[in-house]
Parts: sequence; structure tokens; C-alpha cells
Amino acid sequence: MIELNHDSLRFRFPEVSERAEVHIEFQRTLRIPDDGKEYPLPAGLGRFPLRHVDDFPHRAPARWLEHGGVMLPMYQSEALWINFSGDYPFAVKVAAGKINAVTGKPWSNGLNRGPQDYVVVPEQPWLDGYCVKKGIIRQFVAMPLGAGYSAEEQITGEAEHGGIQIIAYPMKRKVYEQRFSARIADHDRGMTLGTPGLFLARGLDMGLGAGGRMRQEIYDDPFDFSDWDTDNASRCFAHLANSLMWREITGEAPPTTPLTTREYAKHGIPWFGYYADGEAVQGSKILDGIKSVFDLGKSKGEIPLPENESVVIDHVVELRKGLAKGQVREGAF
Amino acid sequence: MSSFGSYVRERRERLKASDATFSVRQLAVRIGVEPSFLSKVERGETPPPSEEKVKALAIELGEDPDVLLALAGKVSSDLQEAIRKRPELFAAVIRELKDVPDQAVLRIVREVRDGKW
Repeated sequence: MIELNHDSLRFRFPEVSERAEVHIEFQRTLRIPDDGKEYPLPAGLGRFPLRHVDDFPHRAPARWLEHGGVMLPMYQSEALWINFSGDYPFAVKVAAGKINAVTGKPWSNGLNRGPQDYVVVPEQPWLDGYCVKKGIIRQFVAMPLGAGYSAEEQITGEAEHGGIQIIAYPMKRKVYEQRFSARIADHDRGMTLGTPGLFLARGLDMGLGAGGRMRQEIYDDPFDFSDWDTDNASRCFAHLANSLMWREITGEAPPTTPLTTREYAKHGIPWFGYYADGEAVQGSKILDGIKSVFDLGKSKGEIPLPENESVVIDHVVELRKGLAKGQVREGAF
Repeated sequence: MSSFGSYVRERRERLKASDATFSVRQLAVRIGVEPSFLSKVERGETPPPSEEKVKALAIELGEDPDVLLALAGKVSSDLQEAIRKRPELFAAVIRELKDVPDQAVLRIVREVRDGKW
């Protein structure tokens, strides 16, 4: 079962184990420059609000109601990362526009290991984008569905699904009991902050394009493939509403506009590096083959990303696997 | 000493053991209060702060905001608003469920619906 609690999706499998629970939330963040350079991890700037689509039967698009799930507001060209927390092991498959974020292949139910099409939580604390090379992702950047920028549109040629799709499989109870007695705590690179910027948007439905390059490993599954309880899974469709339409659907004010790189630097917000011992999976050739939002905009004669200048990184906080929650925080800004 | 204050102190001290940014001073700055005020709150010399600050504290300390609000003797304003909107219904629901075991209550928790993709 999946519940929505404080803008966090709680996937729970009481039928498997009382401990089988993973929380997934969407973090607002800085859009890193899409300039071909590789950047460290930007901080989390708070959770995106999440609402049940069913709560807005008259104003949410009919297709969203058909899909079920939740919705969140994003500004055009805003970035997002997905945070996983919990210490019970899960295999989590993430897709955007029903394109798998690890392999670039179209959505399918079930798990695959050759190549691995899921991330393993808690080994994988977060996912910031499409896995294009071993140790490199391209940041998830919201673009209007239909404008041609999303990975979905570039790969399938159609703007059909948009949004983010997630399915979680817990580890089998027996395997969990055999393998673990106590688990490490999770990690945190969250910040709470909000400062105005500027913006323009069009359309209602958003898809995720591929933005700047970031150093992030997608860890190879350290368990046996048969350890996953594929008989038990929960999935959720998270629709991306254009922020300016958010008020029309929900009656709520959209979040403040995203931080620009200049504001990020001005507030002294650090960047993060994450180090763990696990092996990383190879990147997807399919995903590596799509054009970044900036490059595609250039070839179309459009400027889809305002404030895309390169940034000099001067403050990187190194995070290591095994730190206690909150331990990695940086204060005083 | 209030249970809220001692709880906050205990959590903060535990985080501080491995991360110096959980000093009273730095934590106070992050949630937007004076360090002396946070210190008094922890010692129970002043009542818990506003709902907004308690929530900010919960996020910083990695605690559930509703749990921390309850310790502070408060109920989240969104819950109050929900009760005010439909007082009879929610009063009945809460009275009816107040002694029911957690597992039984969880059965009525609303699930995120999965539709046809």
C-alpha cells in the first residue's frame, strides 16, 4: 500500500514484514548548468507538495484521473531529485514518461537484471536524473510535454505519458531476516529554503528532459536477484503539473520560483559529493543518445533554460555511506 | 523540565555527537530563532515555540512533525482546519477510533490509488 504523508509517499508492505517500508519524496533543487561539464550534487531545497489526483475530480485532467496516483507542481526548467529513505531493502524502478531512468527502455512491470533496470534502496539514497554513463547522470529537468524536450518524446517520438512512474518491490521477508539484523541509517542532503527567481511557462502537463551532467553512481544490486519479492509490488504515477496551473487545479499557491545558480551561491549553499563502496552500473546508451534540453533548444533556436551559465564550485561537502541521518548537514547560511 | 524540551535536547545532542552543526547556536539559526530561546525551550523554561518553528525543528531533527507537535501540546493547523470544516464527522471519527489498535486504524488509512497506465 502507498500512503501520502507530509508530501512523502510511504510504500508499506505489512503483508511482507512490518519493517518493509520505504519513503519516497521529490526534492526541489538547483538546476545545474547544462554546459557539458560534470557537477557535484546540489542540495535539496525542500519537498515538492504532493496531492492525490482524486481530490480534484473536476479540475485534474481526465487522463490523470485514469492513471490515479499523485501530482506535484513544477516550473518549466525546474530540476528535481528523488529521495529514498528507509532501511528495509527495496528494488525501486523509476521512469519518466514511462522511459526507465536507468536503462532508457520503455516501461515494463517486473524487474530485470541484465541490464539492471532498478535502483536498490537504501544503497541508493537518491536519484537525480537519467543514467547516461557509468557514474554520470543527466539531471531531471521539467519541460512542457509536447515541446519535444522530454526523454520520452526524444526516444518514442510521442508526448504520451509525461510524469514520473515508480514501482517498489520489497526484499523477501525470509531473505531479509537471514541477511540483516540491524541496518545503517539513511542519509540526508536536505535544506529548507525558498527564494524567488523568475519564470515563464506554457501547457499543463510536464515531462522530464535531460539537463546538466552530474556525478552520481547508480549502484549495482549487491543482492541475489531472487531476493526480491516480485509477488508484492506497489506502484505510483506522479503527474507533473505546470506550477502556474497548480493553483487552478488545487486552489493552492504554487511553491516559490526555483533558486538560480547565482542565488544558490549567494546563500552559500554547499554542493555535495557522495562516496560509497558499491559498484556502479553502466550508463544507458539510449539515454546517452538523447539531446540535453540546452542542446535541443539550440538546434531549435529556442532558449529553454534561463541562467545556464557555468558555475565555479567552491564548496563541496563530502558525504559517505554509513553516516547517521542529519549528520551531513551544513549549517549557517 | 518539559517532555518537549528534553526530547528536543536529547535528539539534538545525539545528532551533535557526530555533527557539530547540531549545536544550539547553529540549529537555532537554521530554524530562525535566537539561540538563547532554543536553549530555554530545551530546559523547559519557556513554552514550546510556534507551530511553524516546531515543524522546522522536526525537519531538522529528522522527526515526524505531528509527533513533535503533539509533544508540544499542539495539533497541526491543517488538522484543526479539517475538524473545523466537518466538526461532527471528524469528532465522531476520532472518538470512535481513539481506542482502536494501530493496525485496525491503519486499515482505513487512505491509499494512493493506482489506476490504468
